[in-house]
Amino acid sequence: MAKITRREFMKGMVAGSAAVAGTMAVPGVVRKAFTAKATLNIGLWNHWIPGAVDVHSAIINEWAAKNNVEAKIDLLGPQVRDIRTIASAEARAGTGHDIMALGPFDSWAFVKQCEPLNDVAEYLEKKYGKFDSLGTYLSYSEEDKAWYALPAPMGSHSYPMVSRMDYFNQYAGIDLPALFPADASKRDAKKVDGWTYDVFLEAAKKLHKAGYPFGNPISETSDGNDWLGPLLLSFGSQPMDREGNITIESDGTLAALEYLKELVQYMPEDIYGWDDASNNRWIISGKGSCIQNPPSAWSVAKKDQPQNAAQLWHHDTPKGPAGRFRGALFYNFIMWKWCKDKQAAKDLLMYLLEKDQQWKILAAGQGYDMPQLTPMYAHPVWQEQGPPPGTIYNYIIRGDEQLVVGGYPAHPIAGNSIYGKHILPVMVAKATTGEMTPKEAMKWCAQELEMIAE
Amino acid sequence: MSLTLAQQKKRKITYSYLALVPFLIFFLFPLYWMLITSFKTDNEISSLRGVPLIIQSMPTLAHYKFILKETRFLIWFKNSFMISAVVTVLTMVVSVLGAYAISRLRFFGSRYFGVGIFCTYLVPPALLFIPFYKVVGLLGLLNTKWCLLFLYPTLTVPFCTWILIGYFAAIPRALDEAAFVDGATYIQMLTKVFLPVAAPGLIAATLFAFTVSWAQFLYPLAYIYRDDEKVLTNGIYTTLIKGDVYFWGELMGGALLASIPVVILFAFLMDYYVAGLTRGSIK
Amino acid sequence: MVTIRSMVNGRPAVSAKPRLSLLSRLRSRRWAAYWMILPLVVLIVGLVVYPFVYSVYLSFENKAETKFVGLQNYTKLLYYDTFWLVTGNSFRFTLTAVFFKATLGLILALILNNLPIGGQRLWRGVSLIPWVMPLALSSMGWWWIFEPTHSAINWILVQLGGSPKPWLSDPFWARVACIVTNIWYGTPFFMIMYLAGLKSIPESLYEAAQIDGARALQRFRYVTFPMLSKLIGITVMFSTIVTFANFDIVRILTRGGPRYTTHLFGTYAFNIGIEAGHLPRGSAVALFMVPVLGVAAFFILRNIARGEE
Repeated sequence: MAKITRREFMKGMVAGSAAVAGTMAVPGVVRKAFTAKATLNIGLWNHWIPGAVDVHSAIINEWAAKNNVEAKIDLLGPQVRDIRTIASAEARAGTGHDIMALGPFDSWAFVKQCEPLNDVAEYLEKKYGKFDSLGTYLSYSEEDKAWYALPAPMGSHSYPMVSRMDYFNQYAGIDLPALFPADASKRDAKKVDGWTYDVFLEAAKKLHKAGYPFGNPISETSDGNDWLGPLLLSFGSQPMDREGNITIESDGTLAALEYLKELVQYMPEDIYGWDDASNNRWIISGKGSCIQNPPSAWSVAKKDQPQNAAQLWHHDTPKGPAGRFRGALFYNFIMWKWCKDKQAAKDLLMYLLEKDQQWKILAAGQGYDMPQLTPMYAHPVWQEQGPPPGTIYNYIIRGDEQLVVGGYPAHPIAGNSIYGKHILPVMVAKATTGEMTPKEAMKWCAQELEMIAE
Repeated sequence: MSLTLAQQKKRKITYSYLALVPFLIFFLFPLYWMLITSFKTDNEISSLRGVPLIIQSMPTLAHYKFILKETRFLIWFKNSFMISAVVTVLTMVVSVLGAYAISRLRFFGSRYFGVGIFCTYLVPPALLFIPFYKVVGLLGLLNTKWCLLFLYPTLTVPFCTWILIGYFAAIPRALDEAAFVDGATYIQMLTKVFLPVAAPGLIAATLFAFTVSWAQFLYPLAYIYRDDEKVLTNGIYTTLIKGDVYFWGELMGGALLASIPVVILFAFLMDYYVAGLTRGSIK
Repeated sequence: MVTIRSMVNGRPAVSAKPRLSLLSRLRSRRWAAYWMILPLVVLIVGLVVYPFVYSVYLSFENKAETKFVGLQNYTKLLYYDTFWLVTGNSFRFTLTAVFFKATLGLILALILNNLPIGGQRLWRGVSLIPWVMPLALSSMGWWWIFEPTHSAINWILVQLGGSPKPWLSDPFWARVACIVTNIWYGTPFFMIMYLAGLKSIPESLYEAAQIDGARALQRFRYVTFPMLSKLIGITVMFSTIVTFANFDIVRILTRGGPRYTTHLFGTYAFNIGIEAGHLPRGSAVALFMVPVLGVAAFFILRNIARGEE
């Protein structure tokens, strides 16, 4: 029973022939002949795009057939937080799937039960360059020098602005496709530099006056985390540093809260009760001029209200005093410690994250899924989707935005709680509804942060 | 001017019907809203034009077709039915035996046992939910519908036992003493004397166990994620909401379809239920 | 299986020596009882007591579950504004909802009791639907009703000349939404209990009152209400237990928002324990419910014990 170990195999691969590096098809082919049939239980997010899951499953099944593995796939959901519930159940029970796709921070709740995947991550980084910094933050433990998770494309998405070109043009005098053209080479960095939160506020004011306000949830939802977290960061507000010092009480936070206090005057009043889908409905119905969301809103609008969809343009977030940040909700793969055939699981993960497979998955996701390896940005899907043509071209980072998540740069174990308890959106809500002054809200937030520390 | 008795009665009935109207509107409006949503086209659901309280464009069966053809609705239905039925049987066996022993066969601690049973009813599911992971894992039943057979009885058995204790306690002792002297075994006594007399209570407890099992949401949501193993509640919720995309028409239609069996069951057995529940819990 | 066999074994050698066997059978009674109660005990110990004790144990540990920290999870909560907010929410939710359910249920029961038998059966059945429907599914319907952009209620309010209400986004209205949904779900239960109670009041009492010249309101006050009071007490306590431990409605309608103002103990424990990854503290939050429920249980049991005297 000579079994080629991963390390030996990879050595051969990395050092090796152009042929292997070029096709890189099947690490597992080698093990096929040697080992008995393995079973892998795989939990994937139940993608809302019809057919996306089928493509993903087909890739897995094809690999499984070739490698004498039986793959059982479960589709989990509906939302990221439900997957977390399931993972908690499995971690407690010490049984369940072998491989799971989890949402942001989730793996940090189960570090003790996750198998480090360093060899796979290192192999992929060597071949394709570094993972996106956010992906690394969410998947790599600096303390343990371990990759407890692998950044994955399916389900991963970010929160650009999704705006009505017609309303912005007519009422705010901003030509969005000109500012953020569907071609990175035509982008004028200087003009983009002028796209700041101040400019956006002016636009929001005018759009509100015209009867088509900007709308985004300030509520206990992941959408709330995913636009407010980055906004706070771009004003220099950080909840906690990596060492656990609470840093929320800062001028940056005050500035951000004051800014938001003004902005909410030009937003619908019910944003405090919006769920993850409310901003979608807002823009689909034609009532709103702008939201921050992945292309799911536009995609549904294409089907239900095509005349509104044809006016939507996805583009960069505004810049604040401390930089330009965009929220992202990244999925990653974990492998549970109890997995019986770890080698097979690693082979599969490596296979799934190779360019050929990612390519197919990204195409099937119709542009919704976001890769965490930069070479994948070259995929044509974001150019091809429409109407209007090129609307989601800028869904992929084309300029100076940095992808972040609400809770960054706290240690991810603390970040997990900040995100899960929606502390940042609640602080913003308290400050902007007048329930508290910005200072009080900041203090309240500091108390919440103390509570999660231990 | 005084009215005749018949006139008085008639007026009373008319007024009562009038007073009933607001209640019926309150009770039925959500169902009506769900029903019309399930027949509206996606375009109409997402638009803000016109009167939302009626179906304005051509009604569509597309949502129901989707539920029945594109999802595993029928499999969930079967699972829900099977699990609820088996749980009900288990519950009844455990509860009847337990209630009988507690109410009739005196043994050490039997006096406090009834109280103890009732107190287990107090442990909130949201608390048990976390340690149940361990139990379910230990049994190796995570991600199978069978784990529900172990979890649901924790919700059904205490209450059913308690109802039945009330019932059994109300049966005159003379009855079973006579049977006892006649040489009946305890099981015979149970089947020949107790069960027939307590029939309404049994029906009430059965219905209770069935509806509670049918309606459970948290446990299946947490422990079952394989499509073919799901039951209706979590199947509908997890399949018809995806990320931030909600299939409203399908959700509403699915929720209505999933409710039909229990509603039918109640239509036939309601009288027993009412009688059993009220008597059992008062006495 | 075991139980049944023991029953069979317990069968006496019939009629041969009736006196002696009666004695031995009385003795065997205890064993029969033990066998019969065994499944119940196994179920309760294995699936309620053990998990309960485990979560108590868990609540004494630190976040990483590596260290015993005593009562720290509990004491920390007490110094924590959000915990008191949640406590207030839970009581407000329970008291308001139970009050309305009890009142509306009584009114509805009185109305239905006036109807002729045929109509009564039909409308009682219809009124029971909210309670029979799986709550998780009907809550989704309510959610769609309160949905901000497409809210059916707001549309009606505007047509009636009112202004749209910020359902689910303003703490007050979000609480109202949760409570209304709970009232919708729970009123039929009260109605059913009361209706049965009304049926058990002897007609002769009313006739006597009528002869004494009592008007409708007086009849209610001096006949109906006293006769029902015990039943009302028990029903209210029962409903209190179930309402206090509610999870589905808040989970689906508001997820605790806006700003934690609709979180109940159950949903908040879930949020801290599962979603924010602090299981021990989540358990501590859930355990705070137990004493409150215990008080309700005490009153129920006292009421019932009295009834048996």
